[in-house]
Amino acid sequence: MPSILEKIRILGSSSKFDICASTASSRTDKYPKLFGDSKKWVGTTASAGICHSYTPDGRCMSLFKTLYTNKCIYSCKYCFSNTCKQRVSFTPEEYARTFMKLYSMNVVEGIFISSGVCRSADDTTEEMLEAVRLLRFKYNFQGYIHFKCLPGVSQSLLKEAIALSDRISVNSEASTKEFLAEIAEQKDFNNDITLRQRWLKENRIKHNENALKIVKDLKKDSKSVGLQEKMIKDRRENGYKKFRWDGAPILNSGQTTQFVVGAAENETDWDLLKRIDWQYKMIDLRRAYFSSFIPIQGTPLANKQAALLSREHQLYQSDWLLRIYHYKLKDLKEVLTEEGNLPKGDPKVHFARHYFKEHGLVDPNQASYHELLRVPGIGPISAKRIINLRAKKVSFKRREDLKSVGVVLKRAEPFLVINGRNQTTIDNFFSYKEAKIFQEGIQ
Amino acid sequence: MKKKGKPKDPLEVIGCSRGYSKEELINNLSRHANFTPNLIKQVKDLPEVMLRNSGTPTAKKIVRMMRDISGEAYRAIQFTRTEINDRGVLYGVVLLKHQVIDKVLNYFHDRWPQCVICLYNEHTFITSIINEKGLIHEVKSPLKKVVDLISSERPSMPYFEDIQFSGEEIFETLYNTQNIKERNNPRYFKSMIPEYCYKLPGLKKGVERRFTPQNKKLDEFF
Repeated sequence: MPSILEKIRILGSSSKFDICASTASSRTDKYPKLFGDSKKWVGTTASAGICHSYTPDGRCMSLFKTLYTNKCIYSCKYCFSNTCKQRVSFTPEEYARTFMKLYSMNVVEGIFISSGVCRSADDTTEEMLEAVRLLRFKYNFQGYIHFKCLPGVSQSLLKEAIALSDRISVNSEASTKEFLAEIAEQKDFNNDITLRQRWLKENRIKHNENALKIVKDLKKDSKSVGLQEKMIKDRRENGYKKFRWDGAPILNSGQTTQFVVGAAENETDWDLLKRIDWQYKMIDLRRAYFSSFIPIQGTPLANKQAALLSREHQLYQSDWLLRIYHYKLKDLKEVLTEEGNLPKGDPKVHFARHYFKEHGLVDPNQASYHELLRVPGIGPISAKRIINLRAKKVSFKRREDLKSVGVVLKRAEPFLVINGRNQTTIDNFFSYKEAKIFQEGIQ
Repeated sequence: MKKKGKPKDPLEVIGCSRGYSKEELINNLSRHANFTPNLIKQVKDLPEVMLRNSGTPTAKKIVRMMRDISGEAYRAIQFTRTEINDRGVLYGVVLLKHQVIDKVLNYFHDRWPQCVICLYNEHTFITSIINEKGLIHEVKSPLKKVVDLISSERPSMPYFEDIQFSGEEIFETLYNTQNIKERNNPRYFKSMIPEYCYKLPGLKKGVERRFTPQNKKLDEFF
């Protein structure tokens, strides 16, 4: 029987390629508390997350991230678990106790629970849920939990997982059905992944709309009695039999997904961007993670070349443009190479070069919010500041004025006209010089 | 007639705004080890935009002092390693130059509301205690003595008895499993845990230390 240390060694290294370091949850004080106000609850969530350690690859290590079991009926071609000779599982009690010990040491912030599929998805999910139930109701842990939805899990179990976790993720792995079949032939893209993502969205929206209504009704009635008191009274009347109060929103950190970049042959950045854009629109995805493919000895893809880390980085940058800057997908298409991949370098700079060549440089005193967002070095915060200051009749006449509102000048200057002047780029300089030499040659 | 509200600071943007407000500065600057009452007067005299954007050397100095305070509190929250005993006493060692112990204590109190929390400051040799009600006391005694004294007055609790085993090895094993060698990035790692953080009691003997790139000695070089 392997010891807990041995289990952590085996199951921890099997989960290292699962990426999700964030522990940020909107479940903070401004919302009704998840499980009530009792002092018996241990743990908190922070809106920005806290990192208690970092690994030598620079990634934050704030979660107790191990598989629950590495026994798996699937044989995905890229997966690390394929090579593992020793098959082990935690018991729910072991898992919960070990985490609570680490939490008391202030070395982890929450849990990331994932697993191989042992016997069936439902069987394994049931065991994982047992560990989470123990944490929530035996150890009274009310901190951050990220639950991995296994492919093909039933809706009833998923509903319970939603109620107990802050975040749920369903790994897409590839952008389309065909690419998934290439790297994980046993998984059904539509049924195992997309359908589960839709269930997550539907259940979350349904519950949260209802929760909002409950809080609104309470606010109406709470003119004489304080809202907080009314909430407590309501909870007492309903009792804690229902393990969480209906007025609290669920799945506060939303759902996420992860792609293995470069595992499937011919999968382009455009395929991945199309998929995440669809997921942002259709299944209410909070964010996507990308993991560069690394060949592992003993797997069917051992001889395949590793994907470049720069590609992963560019995908994150493009994802940021779609998610935070609300760029349209067709905007990004314009800068792609013929093969459908992103060109080397920052996608925002490529896009800005393309866009401002057609539309001309922008004056920060006249540009709209969306135009400002297209300038590298100007983000949503500094763009909002510029608009706010303009409304106060402040005009930007010097470079320093822009710097003081948070604009990164070295990136932004080539695309801006400040007080009628603009920076000459090296391309313009050479073309000017060449033109002059050409003209002199003619003369 | 519609009453005119207080004009909103145009630099204030929903979600985030650059720098610190005057109110924040006035409330927190006194925490700094080099605080003098004259600083408050300077804060009051300077316009908020200057302060937020470090517009003058004085503003720059004030903002840097404020960053020292918040940085120290954040690093303490990140890297303080604690232990919990079967009586529900959570204890650890910190190294704080500025007066931010209350912030750190409150952070642990929010997480473990049923526990008494004791933190020993290596800089001042003072043990600070926060009880279940959130009241803070300070004692000039060594940590062990304070923990023993508090523990003797509290009953043993099954909840905390359940997690009485050594966790250091567990964390070390977990930490070793999480690194992907192919993605090693020593520069980024160093920026995430800068050199001065290894002087903090939590990281002094931490597993992270072993992975930090060190400058080679001349002998090793040859």
